[in-house]
Amino acid sequence: MNALIISAVFGVIMMFTGIFVKQKPVTRNIAIAGVALLLLVNILEMSGIDFFKVHTAGFMLFDRFALLFNSVAFGSTLIYFILSAPDMEKVGHYYADYFALIFFILCGVVLVASFQSLLILFLGIEIISIPLYILTGSNKRNLISNEASLKYFLMGAFSTGIMLMGITLLYGATGTFDTQFMNIETEGTSALVIAGMLLLFFSMAFKVSAVPFHFWTPDVYDGCPTVFTSFMATVVKSAAFVGFIRLFYDAFGSIHDDWKLVAAIITALTLLVGNITAVFQQSVKRMLAYSSISQAGFMLLGLLALNATSKEGIILYATAYSLATIGIFAILLKMNDHSFESFNGFARQQPLLAGVNVIFLLSLAGIPLTAGFLAKFYMLKATLESGDFLWLVILAVIMAAVSVYYYFRLIQAMYFKEGDGNAIEVSPGFKLMLVIVAACLIVLGVFPNLLLNWLYF
Amino acid sequence: MVPVLLILIPLLAGIASFFTGSEKTARFWALLASLFTLLVSILGLTILKDPSYLAFETSWLGSLGSSFSVKLDGMGQILCLLTAISYPIILLATWHTPHKKANNFFGLMLLTQAGLMGVFLAMDALLFYFFWELALIPVYFLCSQWGGERRIAVTFKFFIYTFIGSLLMLVGIIYLYTQTPGNSFAIADFYNINLPTSEQSNIFWLLFIAFAIKMPVFPFHTWQPDTYEQTNYATTMVLSGIMVKMGVFGIIRWLLPVLPAASYAWGDTVSTMAIIGMIYASLIAIRQNDLKRLVAYSSIAHIGLMCVAIFAETESGMQGVMIQMFNHGINIIALWIVVEIIERQFGTRKISELGGLAKKMPVLSILLMIVALANIALPLTNSFIGEFLMFNGIFGSTITKYNVVFMVCAGITIILAAIYTLNMIRRVFYGETNEITANAVDIRENEKWILIAVVALIFIIGVYPQAILNISSETVNEILKEADITPYLIGK
Amino acid sequence: MIDLLQATVNSPGTTSASYLPIGLQVLFVVGLVGFLLIITHFLGPKRQTAEKLETFAGGIASHGDARQPMAINYFLVAILFVLFDVEIIFFYPYAINFRALGWDGFWAVMMFVSFFLCGFIYIIKKGALIWED
Repeated sequence: MNALIISAVFGVIMMFTGIFVKQKPVTRNIAIAGVALLLLVNILEMSGIDFFKVHTAGFMLFDRFALLFNSVAFGSTLIYFILSAPDMEKVGHYYADYFALIFFILCGVVLVASFQSLLILFLGIEIISIPLYILTGSNKRNLISNEASLKYFLMGAFSTGIMLMGITLLYGATGTFDTQFMNIETEGTSALVIAGMLLLFFSMAFKVSAVPFHFWTPDVYDGCPTVFTSFMATVVKSAAFVGFIRLFYDAFGSIHDDWKLVAAIITALTLLVGNITAVFQQSVKRMLAYSSISQAGFMLLGLLALNATSKEGIILYATAYSLATIGIFAILLKMNDHSFESFNGFARQQPLLAGVNVIFLLSLAGIPLTAGFLAKFYMLKATLESGDFLWLVILAVIMAAVSVYYYFRLIQAMYFKEGDGNAIEVSPGFKLMLVIVAACLIVLGVFPNLLLNWLYF
Repeated sequence: MVPVLLILIPLLAGIASFFTGSEKTARFWALLASLFTLLVSILGLTILKDPSYLAFETSWLGSLGSSFSVKLDGMGQILCLLTAISYPIILLATWHTPHKKANNFFGLMLLTQAGLMGVFLAMDALLFYFFWELALIPVYFLCSQWGGERRIAVTFKFFIYTFIGSLLMLVGIIYLYTQTPGNSFAIADFYNINLPTSEQSNIFWLLFIAFAIKMPVFPFHTWQPDTYEQTNYATTMVLSGIMVKMGVFGIIRWLLPVLPAASYAWGDTVSTMAIIGMIYASLIAIRQNDLKRLVAYSSIAHIGLMCVAIFAETESGMQGVMIQMFNHGINIIALWIVVEIIERQFGTRKISELGGLAKKMPVLSILLMIVALANIALPLTNSFIGEFLMFNGIFGSTITKYNVVFMVCAGITIILAAIYTLNMIRRVFYGETNEITANAVDIRENEKWILIAVVALIFIIGVYPQAILNISSETVNEILKEADITPYLIGK
Repeated sequence: MIDLLQATVNSPGTTSASYLPIGLQVLFVVGLVGFLLIITHFLGPKRQTAEKLETFAGGIASHGDARQPMAINYFLVAILFVLFDVEIIFFYPYAINFRALGWDGFWAVMMFVSFFLCGFIYIIKKGALIWED
């Protein structure tokens, strides 16, 4: 509850900061302080200190899973602000308003991560989506950005409609919005419930850009100002996943057998299409967009398995994926153009940045000793524990090997190809922060319990 | 304590090496670290033999049922000794080979060593997988950054190949892990799994492909000649001398005892694949004009024999594999040293462009002759012992019906090996000198002494193999006991 | 607060048969609309002339195209009006339950009003209501 209220209040504060504070560094520092505060109060809440006594029973449930994910989301956002906030200045005039919108998105993230009622889920998804439509189109002079925004808005509105329809059907069938008290029978499930569940499944699949609901993703990620793509592809996406898992764990766990084949097929398609298409990309930004689809395929394994391991796994995956992707985007933002060629000879010019970039890429590819490996490991483990999806697991690892192809192309460009490279200027603080992120990835890759123990203690 | 040191010394030295300055410092630093590792390895074999020194376990991923558990058993001793002994040899033999950004080069080399040591020491499946990959990543950078023209693409092929293999292995490991009582990655628990044969077969292939790619066994070998050809010599030596042993080792430790029924059921298939690979590789080696590719194909043939001997599941054959793993490592490194000397001096490694080197380089030709004889397993050389034991084991195997067929086919490859090895020597070292080889000078001091040391090792093991066989006999018996298929046969 | 939206279907006799009246009503509504549309088509006299296709606006002859770009300020004012209008609707339930909700309700509404004022100040400060550039 702490984080929910404070994030909303901070959104308002940032709105006014834009009016009363003209210096951009000051605005930025206020925002960074705000996220740090959010992280702090959320951790306090995990230790049992709650500032606001609001009666939310039946609507929201701030369990360990939700709180831990909130911490991960705030932590990632904090790192994102520190690394990339200066780059937001280039997007447009409304510097403080961008921060305000991101705070409102965080408010939605909290709702989606901790909902218990379908209404809150719907609200959360909308609170996340609407500011994102604005951020996507924030580069007003750029036609591609406008197109992305419109596309995102139309598709988003469409999927929200489907979600609402699903919620309605479920309400009709069960008479409640409360996911924990739906009591859906395993045997003889009514057609209304199945239809409602499928509609919810499809709309959530849209939000996490699972194939075949992914068509908006590359265009939107590509058209959106890079600095916001970074946020969209990481924090927002993992939040949608957490909501997805929470919904199906609570409401549809009892009819797991009915939908797991659908989930398996969608997972397989997501892995296939995401990875294979990423191989052919010429721009790093677009490659990362497809990579986000393929990583979503792996996270979907957690949804498919639906057991305790998959809950741990999704937390770890969200952390590993967000940190690595934010890091790569932060470096990408410093480059003049986004093609693979622009990274030629990068290692010679910026040895430290190239080094941490390698760690990020290795983590995304799932090489041991990085958090990305353990995240994938948890997903595979969860799937195998739930039984009879060996074929999917084998497909997943083969696709992970395919993903090495496009991640390592970047490493090849940086290390083994000659190029003048475009000279970039970065501050020591930026470098330090990236090193810290890389260190986090390695520490989590060796001791994942540092994070996961929070789920239980 | 000893196993931890074996991993930690190269690991820390490798990381430190990235921060050393000049090429010379990096070189000395790497040599110092590798000598120190060798010292520890020898101490583990002699003074610190007590089991309490040779095992180490501490909790690591407790919630997953994995622990940091390393132990030096007989097989581990042999392979760690091979790794420890090879590194000083490699470093000294390539002492004068210039490397750009030498500190990175030697850092990566040492990291590879740490990974290799870890693979041979791990007693926990997840830890094993960690080190398996840790050994691969630095090699990827080594091969891509220092080597021939096509190195980037070739290394990439190699990397993707092995990565697919290791991921499939990961699936297999996790599957086995979910079958252990109380979910554990410990090797003892893996040995206690009793799966039905059909399930074992699926897992068998998941694991086997990973090992087969690494060894490599036909038809998973296509990465190997290209990679050896394009990579710089020091890395090629590590790859062919030590890294291929990861595959052999993996089968012996993680496949045979864990999935005995499937190993029995598929043993003949695998042996047939290996035999096909051996004959095929030998035939290609005969037609080969490139020295590097010749040695590469010769290596496929030798490894294939080990594979057949493992699946014969006899004590003699297994002992032969143990000693041959060590021998093959030493011999092939010696061959690479010679090839490097030739390429460095003449700028070519085409057999057809060389000739008459024996007149100009007498020392080199004598030493090479001995190494070559060891390569074709002549008595008194180390390989003779290994191959003899393996043939004996294949012939005496009770679990395959085709032991005689396998033996005859494998015997043919011995003859083929003699053909291509001796033919290579004839064409390169004898005959007329030409304008390329006319001004040849004999080898440098460091190369000479290294080769002499290797030759000495070849003879010592050839005359007194018991030293190594004693180390491994206990492990071999344990593994064969675990791999025993009689319980499954009674079940039928 | 919980029970606001937590309608539960308690009556045990809820079967598909209980939807019969709703079904009948749907049929009736659709039928009536369809019937009326069709019947007017047949009953009324028809004279097709070009004038009938023109836009009718209070008898004044129309000219020009309606789809002209117009100042964005109109939209802005319109949307802001809708926003504040909707917010004010929330006062209505409060006004009815003024006494029953007591001080708690008062503070809740004060909070609501203050947020609402924040928004108002924000749009004024942003210059959203300044008509001239």
